[in-house]
Amino acid sequence: MKTIEVKKPSGYATQIGPAHPALKEPVMFTLDIEGERIRRVDFVPGMAHRGIEWMGMRRNCIQVMYLAERICGICGITHAISFVRAVEQIAQIQVPNRAHYIRSIVGELERIHSHLLWAGVAAHELGFDSAFYLAWRVRENVMDLLEYLTGNRVHYAIIQIGGVRRDIVPDQFPRIEESMKFFENAYAQLAAVFLDDTTVRMRCRDCGVLTTDEARELCPVGPTARASGIKKDVRIDHPYAAYADIEMEYQTPDLLTGEVRGDVYDRIVTRLLEVKQSIGIVRQLLAMLPDGPLLAIPKPAVLLAKLKGAAGEAVGRHEAPRGEVMHFVRLEAGKDEPVAWKVKASSYSNYLSWIPMMEGEQIADIPIIAASIDPCISCTDRVALVRPDSRRILTKEELHRLSVEKTRRIQAALAKRENP
Amino acid sequence: MNASLLLATIVGTLGLALFGIFAGLWFTGIDRVLAARMQARIGPPVRQPFIDLAKLLIKQNVVPANAIPWLFNGAPLLALASAITILLYVPMAALPGLPVLGLQGDLVLVMYLLLIPGLAMVAGGLASGSPYATIGAQREMVTMIAYELPLAATVIAFAWKLAQLGALHPFSLAAVAATPIWTVVGPIGFVGLLLLLATLLLVVPGELGRIPFDAPEAETEIAGGLLVEYSGRNLALFSLSLAVKTIVATALVVALFFPWNFTDFVALGGAPAFAAAANAAFFLLKLLVVLFFSVTLVRISVARFRITQVVDVYWKILGALSLVGLLLVMVDAHVR
Amino acid sequence: MSFPMIPELLGRLFRKPNTNPFPAAQLPPTVTGLLEKVGKGEARLNPPVPVPAKLRGKMTYNRETCIGCKLCIKVCPAHAIDFIESTKKIRIFVAQCIQCGQCTEVCPKNCLALSEEFLNASHDRYADALVVD
Repeated sequence: MKTIEVKKPSGYATQIGPAHPALKEPVMFTLDIEGERIRRVDFVPGMAHRGIEWMGMRRNCIQVMYLAERICGICGITHAISFVRAVEQIAQIQVPNRAHYIRSIVGELERIHSHLLWAGVAAHELGFDSAFYLAWRVRENVMDLLEYLTGNRVHYAIIQIGGVRRDIVPDQFPRIEESMKFFENAYAQLAAVFLDDTTVRMRCRDCGVLTTDEARELCPVGPTARASGIKKDVRIDHPYAAYADIEMEYQTPDLLTGEVRGDVYDRIVTRLLEVKQSIGIVRQLLAMLPDGPLLAIPKPAVLLAKLKGAAGEAVGRHEAPRGEVMHFVRLEAGKDEPVAWKVKASSYSNYLSWIPMMEGEQIADIPIIAASIDPCISCTDRVALVRPDSRRILTKEELHRLSVEKTRRIQAALAKRENP
Repeated sequence: MNASLLLATIVGTLGLALFGIFAGLWFTGIDRVLAARMQARIGPPVRQPFIDLAKLLIKQNVVPANAIPWLFNGAPLLALASAITILLYVPMAALPGLPVLGLQGDLVLVMYLLLIPGLAMVAGGLASGSPYATIGAQREMVTMIAYELPLAATVIAFAWKLAQLGALHPFSLAAVAATPIWTVVGPIGFVGLLLLLATLLLVVPGELGRIPFDAPEAETEIAGGLLVEYSGRNLALFSLSLAVKTIVATALVVALFFPWNFTDFVALGGAPAFAAAANAAFFLLKLLVVLFFSVTLVRISVARFRITQVVDVYWKILGALSLVGLLLVMVDAHVR
Repeated sequence: MSFPMIPELLGRLFRKPNTNPFPAAQLPPTVTGLLEKVGKGEARLNPPVPVPAKLRGKMTYNRETCIGCKLCIKVCPAHAIDFIESTKKIRIFVAQCIQCGQCTEVCPKNCLALSEEFLNASHDRYADALVVD
């Protein structure tokens, strides 16, 4: 068994968060620092818990789908896709091919959107506001495109259990191609600003390193894992929707730079490469778009009836811009609502990589390292600690005693009910 | 000192204080609008810093429970007062009465005075009782130590050259203002002066706490650093001191490297007030150009440095460059 | 040493900003004063960026054709629709509505539709403009 080295506290503790300009969402980092160097870091999530799974267990599956989309704004469709994939498996609904393709196209457009948003946020954390504005200006284009295709810039509401709700007709193809050309041109400028700029290199190269071995142990997902050289991608490993019909490569930084260092710079490289890959995928899928219906069960009332009778449990997965998202759903016959719904967001797997990345770095690097795994804390917070400061260790004797006391209480209440 | 001189000094001081504040806030506003346009934004109106100042003055002045009240409240006043004091010594345009205390100060005094607003901010930060402010104060001290090297090299180059030319008081600002340094060096010295100008232009963002040298106040890292606990009137005074420091830093660059007046190029007949106005406008234009190239363009084109990188850049890169510049100026004198 | 942002920044200095100045380029001295002037025709508000067709905006409802089947209430994720027992019609609260359009799909009489109106902000959630019935 590996001995865990417990570092002595240096005596100067500070914290970043929960509310801090570096963090777009609340999470608390407790730091043990020595001057500017971080000796130990720990984090406490759980401050963005909104009770979504609780709400979901009181709504029928069609309503839950829209709720799932609102778990996150940047990866909204990934939660919708994961949820409907789980439900479709339980109810044995076959999604038509055209719907699969449209889901993948919108999913890839969302990936472009999310990575551009991330690039801007990372630049802002570095103090490079001009790159932030540049990346978000480019992102406006994909948001306008998504508004054109789905009716809203965020929360596309295009997924339905059994297919998609809106079609992508050939009349819309020229607009999509126009956007793809725009992104190709913008890609060159973004790559120059984010990868060639001297100050960005100074801040990001060899900073916040997650070695391949550490990545293998901590099991991050998505670009965080791929930037450390782990070849992991749900779209390639377990193909679904339209991804089975196209050739894809794992986007690791050695495709561009020739080596894998697992630092913040490599994560920037990985995400820029993924943007390029997504542009290619969208074009490919549009060219191969098959004809056919959009929904397996067009009438929502019929769909609701079928889901009421469905029973079973399944896991739906999707490669979100941050990594693999899993939704576990259990349905019971005769009930509209899911009996169990558990969301495992991609950032949940990526959180623990913060610790080896931050230890040994300077306080100045905390914002960029925190941002480099692209944390989506709203996605991830499914549990809130009510009494986080009190810790008790319950021994076997104490547990036994508490159980006996509770049994006595229940017996007394039952006896009272029988003899009022 | 006789009564009329004393009166003139007082009037001059008050006038310069008001000028420093108003011009500083205007230039801050122009800097914000130019930066916004370069980032494809509309930006705020140019008078935004005045609106911000008015808003700060009506907000509550919070003194944290952990703070040292007299130091916490006194530091902003000290910062503003010391920034205005430097204005009394820096030569500006050839206007009557300027510089107000010009005959009594020299470059060494100005270099020392330049430290005081920074030290006041450090004191205020350490007195804030917040860990972020402490980190910011430590970073500010380190930044000040770091940019002293290129600044000192530049000052020494000027003083050395003037002494070599036979000036009685080589460090005096009057001597510096009277001798445009470009006219007394040959080609080698010209290159040396260019290097010194480049390093001084990059010392200005460090003095003013702007990107890439704004580690003491890094918004995304330490939530405002030194100034994190300041609000209301105290923060207004600090922002005023920053505005005046903007004028001071750019005026110093102009006084050292571009001391010409408008009337040196164009002979203006007519009332002397007309010539004075032209000189003043030309001076403000020079300040604006220096501000654009040293603060505005720099702060939006690069990312922020870590504090260790700030020291590396100031000592290794800019320090070496400025020493090379100094050497070239010296070599030039021997070659001619 | 490369600073690829500098040419982009200097070039932008001579071009129009990317921001659409809706409703005005700068904050006016008083908002109510500006709105009064607009009412009198002395000032103009800049229009917003044009929206695409089939934007999912504010709900519209045709009372006449509604049969009170309550299917829309069953599928509304946000519980934004109220059923009025006395008239067997519905009322939609725009402030609660998430504009998903599920109700428009399930309605057997097609009396619900999403318009392209998106300027729905108000101080009062129950203002007339925000209650569709």
